[in-house]
Amino acid sequence: MSAQPISLNRLENGITVITVDHQAADLIAARCFFRAGGRWEAPHQVGISHLLAMVMTKGTQSLSSAVIADRVESMGANLGTDATADYFTLGLKTVTADFAEILHLAGEILRSPSFPAAEVQLEQQLTLQNIRAQSERPFSVAFQQLRQAMYGDHPYGFSILGTPETLSSLTEADLHAYHHRYFRPDNLVISLSGRIDPDRAIAQITAVFGDWAIPDAPLPIAPPLPSLPPPSTHTIHQATQQAIVMVGYSAPAVHNLPDYIALKVINTYLGSGLSSRLFVELREKRGLAYDVSAFYPTRFSDSQFVAYIGTAPENAQVGFDGLVAEVERLCKVPLTATELQASKNKLLGQYALGKQTNADLAQLFGWYTIIDLGIEFDHQFQAAVNQITADQLQAAAQRYFQTPYITIVGPEPAREPLAL
Amino acid sequence: MQQLSNLCKAPLFPAEAIRLSNGLTLIHQYLPATPVVAVDVWVQAGANAEPQDWHGMAHFLEHMIFKGSEAVGPGEFDAIIETSGGGTNAATSHDYAHFFITTAAAYLPQTLPYFADILLHAAIPDEEFGREMDVVIEEIHGCHDDPDWLGFQALCETIYGQSPYGRSILGTADQVRQRSPNQMRCFHRTHYQPENMTVVVVGGMEREGAIALVSEAFCHFAVRSECPPIITHSKPQLTEITRTELRLPRLEQARLMLAWTGPGVDLMDVGIGLDMLSVILAGGRSSRLVRDLREEQQQVWDIGCEFSLQKTASLLTINAWLEADALPMVEAALQNHLTRLQRELITPAELNRVQRLLCNDYAFSTETPAQLAGLYGYYNTIAQAELAVTYPTRVKQMTPEILRQIAQDYLTPDCYAVTVMRSL
Repeated sequence: MSAQPISLNRLENGITVITVDHQAADLIAARCFFRAGGRWEAPHQVGISHLLAMVMTKGTQSLSSAVIADRVESMGANLGTDATADYFTLGLKTVTADFAEILHLAGEILRSPSFPAAEVQLEQQLTLQNIRAQSERPFSVAFQQLRQAMYGDHPYGFSILGTPETLSSLTEADLHAYHHRYFRPDNLVISLSGRIDPDRAIAQITAVFGDWAIPDAPLPIAPPLPSLPPPSTHTIHQATQQAIVMVGYSAPAVHNLPDYIALKVINTYLGSGLSSRLFVELREKRGLAYDVSAFYPTRFSDSQFVAYIGTAPENAQVGFDGLVAEVERLCKVPLTATELQASKNKLLGQYALGKQTNADLAQLFGWYTIIDLGIEFDHQFQAAVNQITADQLQAAAQRYFQTPYITIVGPEPAREPLAL
Repeated sequence: MQQLSNLCKAPLFPAEAIRLSNGLTLIHQYLPATPVVAVDVWVQAGANAEPQDWHGMAHFLEHMIFKGSEAVGPGEFDAIIETSGGGTNAATSHDYAHFFITTAAAYLPQTLPYFADILLHAAIPDEEFGREMDVVIEEIHGCHDDPDWLGFQALCETIYGQSPYGRSILGTADQVRQRSPNQMRCFHRTHYQPENMTVVVVGGMEREGAIALVSEAFCHFAVRSECPPIITHSKPQLTEITRTELRLPRLEQARLMLAWTGPGVDLMDVGIGLDMLSVILAGGRSSRLVRDLREEQQQVWDIGCEFSLQKTASLLTINAWLEADALPMVEAALQNHLTRLQRELITPAELNRVQRLLCNDYAFSTETPAQLAGLYGYYNTIAQAELAVTYPTRVKQMTPEILRQIAQDYLTPDCYAVTVMRSL
């Protein structure tokens, strides 16, 4: 996590290449990012990015699924594809000597996947089952419900897995069309970290991707986003030992930098680590829960701030009151100078600890680039955290912590329902 | 099984194990390129060190350590570490409890004394004890809402019975309610003593500085106490397939979980062989079970095989997620795969694949100070730290013949523990 030299280049066909020259270990981690994923999906095709990620490594024009798996695993490499709400990525990790060969294979997978019908059907079935399995865990049930309440038809409102209906309707032709639309060199960022210098990285990437031409069609634009539904409350009864209580507030996208930084510091103050406010007040001082925390994901578009507690069903009301009181307290009470500095140190310290491995570094800089922040965001983020004031935090709290969306999952109450 | 040739080609241990004058073991490795230091303190005080009827003690004590000492208030240590940009946490298993911090090296002289004080002089205040008991009980309730956790517990109880490794580390809610602060202080003062502890320091701190800091901070230990004796029950000798069935509400897919035990770390090469067999069976898409049952026959939603090396009795499990109708067919298929491992040698391609996968995984998981500190601490707690770095060499020395022998000795297709989970 000491500052490694980082370089940024653009190939003639529009591929952005980021190289972190990090000689410490004899390995290279790479992430190939495309501007695709949940945010780019049409409502009737929700889940297509994830399905594509599942089948992409299962056949190319010249290689079968078994051959691809064998090539990767016989070299002891890691290679996988993944879709998220804001991007699509292929990640790989190899010892330095094997990098060129695995990158070549990655190139073939990204450029000419074949989506064999049998593989598409298999992964569709496995994903449908995966969707069903989400309902086995109370936390997932609560979070899915909250997300749907907060986002409605906004793409962030759906699981990346899709819905049973949309998933069943997807065909190989849909996958080919999606691939054709988004997988193009001018929509690609390749981010590397490890024992490789930038010249060598560019030479190896050019050898694999240099002849990939930019298509005539203009770069696709993500569909316009619908507005968010108003706050609501939902209770789901399940015969569980614990009740899960979640409160959510609509929160700023990363591009709204001042508010984004404010909420990141607030999230750290409330929910990060054993000394966070929620942990200390609700767990340490009152023994209400084992798991009580908050999260605020970094998103290209409208994000969410969520605080939650897993508690005994008879404590659901107390837990709910505690969560809301702690979150909304920040509208009225500014952080003290000590609290503010502690939260900043904590946030920046954890940020630094999150940049220790080659995979961490490749992921971070590629991700910043694919969501249009650029690699400079690494410094901008840290500088902005250092500069923010308690007044700015309080103003942001007042702007965002108005009325929460509420979800409760737990056993049917023996007595009267919660007074929300 | 035949003995492996000596490990003459084993890499030198890149860290150094130092015995301090009070008997405490310090393991240190200097990594000049990083400003971070990880300190990981391992104590031979896991659930297996609990006296009869003291179940749940080791894990509950891990929670209570963070409630501080005479000199350090509840939560004060967490705040000190975290507000200087570092992180801390802890974990308990059957063989150990361990506590770790990761921090910028510059802060360690200020923070380490607090860390040592809460570990060596845990106060276990009565009023904090009661509150934290509620937290531990919530942790147990949360686990009971996780079907895979429930299945794994049932499987361990079936294969280990009353012997160590058989019961839940957390204990039951009723058992936790029976623990008392005095009992816990006794457990702490018995086990949190220098000869039972390993302090691992890895990262941007040089040898002399690390020795000075640790010697100073981990100097005064609590007055010794003595717990009631540990009564060790022997492991049940399974002579046939031993089955447990759970029926749960809200289960969307059935589970089939099979388990075999292996020797402890004293026969490390057998453990490494079982680790390799687990990868041959279900590590990656070209492994036997994934290819056959998930990709080709499509009888399982997912399948995995896990091996964990433990101090006295290791564990290999196969876990399948599937439709309830497929349970008999998949179990029979697993038996066939195990029979094949006993009869036929694995192919040279399979051997190459598993050796490269495991050696690379080892390299990929030793990048950070915290990863290295955890690795050394774990091995030093169950055996010696130096063994940790012999892993890749041992993997490379394994042959198809030895792997077949290990499969014959341990992965019996007609004698294992199995847990089946179905929907109510």
